[in-house]
Amino acid sequence: MQTEVDAAVERLCRQQVLSAAQADRFRRVARRELVSVHRELRFLLYAGILVTMAGVGLLVKENYERLGPLAIAAGLTLAAAGCLAWVRRQAPPFSWGDSASPHLAYEYLLLLGVLLLGADLAYVEAQFTPLGNVWPWHLLLMSVVSATLAVRYDSRIVFSVALSTFAAWRGVSVMLLETAFWSGSGQEASLRANAIGCGIFFIVLGAMLRRYERKPHFEPVAAHLGWILVLGALASGLGGDDTAFGVALLLTGTALAVFAFRRGRFSLFSLGVLGAYTALGALFLRTDPPFAVASLWFALTSLAVLGGLLTVHQKMRRRA
Amino acid sequence: MTADAAEADRRREVREAARGWRRAGAIDEAALAAVVSAYPDDRVRLGPAFRTLAFIFTVLALNAIFVFVVAVFEPGEDVAGPLAIAFGLSLCVLTDVQIGSFKRDEGGTETATALVGLGYVVGGAGLLMWEAGLREGALFPAFFALATVAFAAAAKRWGMAVCAALAAVFFFVLLAQCRGGRFLWIAAAVMMIPLSLKASESPRLPPAHRRSSKAVLAIAVVALYAALHLGSWDSGFVEGLASTGTNRWRDSPLRPVAIAGTALIPLAAIAFGIHTRRRLVLDLGLALGIASLVTLRLYVHVAPLWVVLIFGGAAAIAAALAARRFLASGRAGERGGLTAEPLFEDLSRQAELEAAAALAAAPGARPPAHDDRTLTPGGGRFGGGGASGEY
Repeated sequence: MQTEVDAAVERLCRQQVLSAAQADRFRRVARRELVSVHRELRFLLYAGILVTMAGVGLLVKENYERLGPLAIAAGLTLAAAGCLAWVRRQAPPFSWGDSASPHLAYEYLLLLGVLLLGADLAYVEAQFTPLGNVWPWHLLLMSVVSATLAVRYDSRIVFSVALSTFAAWRGVSVMLLETAFWSGSGQEASLRANAIGCGIFFIVLGAMLRRYERKPHFEPVAAHLGWILVLGALASGLGGDDTAFGVALLLTGTALAVFAFRRGRFSLFSLGVLGAYTALGALFLRTDPPFAVASLWFALTSLAVLGGLLTVHQKMRRRA
Repeated sequence: MTADAAEADRRREVREAARGWRRAGAIDEAALAAVVSAYPDDRVRLGPAFRTLAFIFTVLALNAIFVFVVAVFEPGEDVAGPLAIAFGLSLCVLTDVQIGSFKRDEGGTETATALVGLGYVVGGAGLLMWEAGLREGALFPAFFALATVAFAAAAKRWGMAVCAALAAVFFFVLLAQCRGGRFLWIAAAVMMIPLSLKASESPRLPPAHRRSSKAVLAIAVVALYAALHLGSWDSGFVEGLASTGTNRWRDSPLRPVAIAGTALIPLAAIAFGIHTRRRLVLDLGLALGIASLVTLRLYVHVAPLWVVLIFGGAAAIAAALAARRFLASGRAGERGGLTAEPLFEDLSRQAELEAAAALAAAPGARPPAHDDRTLTPGGGRFGGGGASGEY
């Protein structure tokens, strides 16, 4: 029961802010006479898909000798095709904009189809080795296929799968295929460079999607994943001897915080602030300060950041 | 809660509902503006991102200040307890000032000062008890009793649901210290569930206290389930929380009660949630139902795990689709007051969470496998290669 809302609906209806029809519906929801289980159904669908995929993984692992590779590959293909065929039948006409989901299960069955397709592709690659030594390329293929399906059927969930699979392709390729190419630097440095490269690619991709209005609502997925990769890669270098990563993380985090704040993108702003503060703290600790000085440093800098946040927020309120 | 904080909380409830109506397109901007103007906000609030940052940096600053004082003045062991209590109490006063004079709510800082302050008060008191010679048998009950009272008082004074939840957790841990703790859990939960259910809907209480009651309700339901859960019964989970606990329930003739409890509590919660249209109870029932199914699989090997997972997952999908179809086929898309339509919920937040969670299920989301060309799936992860742990 939302007693305040119930009373407010009566008052707003008397003041003719709400129509009788609006008030009736709002009142029913406030009095718990009408309750949505939409969230619970979505949770069941999502959990069902993840559990099914876990089962598929085990099925393949435990039964591939008994069932045979062809039967497993065919089974996975059929299951994926079934899901994607259902999605295709339900799908609204293609649009570069945000299209409403035609069915509660639409995006989830698309996700299941894509995950089954990924499992199928990986299984075929592992069993029949069509790509030979360059087997990690199947991850790139899967990434492209996922991205295509995400764009066609307008799914941010599948788009995030496409981006993470692309990043996985870079990671595996650096470690297994491109050892000669990256031989000048250590494996850790190569991975870091690739993570930063991937992150920048995602950020630029997101910016282009928004600029050219091609699925602009996908941009937050690309931007967040991109910035997390960039900041995470820089942060992974903080433990080494080189202070360059600390300085780079400080500058990048600060720039991101300023950029994101100006555009009112507060989740990116938080990432930037946390990145910059982590870098600042790590750089300070490199000076090997006494324990008391270190704690004073963290007390003062935290309070300074807090003061800055509250001041900025006050200015925003005044402006609003 | 002070009267003006309670009134601000009631007005907030109306504004939030109106924002939901607007999000769903049920009202226009003018109507929303009229609601916001009729129910104005006199509190200082921060958005989720600023609030999270404010909370993190306040917690960091407060702990760093205390560590600095300890590092500089190096107080003896006998002073550490009173010092922590004094620091914690001053933070509690600071919380009161923020919520009262500064009219802060959902600002991150007041939650941080409250939680850190209570932590120091309770921790400092624990140190004092230790110094006074209390040991396990007496120390833990006294410590958890104090923690329960402190967090419950904080929940009442400041209307913080997290404090209410922690108070309930400490209360059940306190009961576990007693002889027959498991039965005390059952008795306490059976008493607390109807009381907190009633309080969670009482029009006399401000929304913050109703949310606190819901938090207590959730903890009480989980505690009842834990006390009657077969795995907890066999492993002596509740008895293990006591300093001198020993499990003597595994071979008890009452074990069938635990089997029945594991099976029936989730079903009862789901049925009650659907019948009375209480989403919290329904959600708890679903979560406990998953726990019971996992327990069933651990005790009864009806089929290989992959069969259970595939059929379990497919059953969940089928159940969701059947429920949607059933509800949608009712008059005006509803049956018994339940609908599959989202009504006035914020779907974007759920979509963001799902997009983030999908990363873990993506092909390649597994640790690097240098020479591994074989498929070694498991746990929902699969793929011929795998993401680097560095990414």
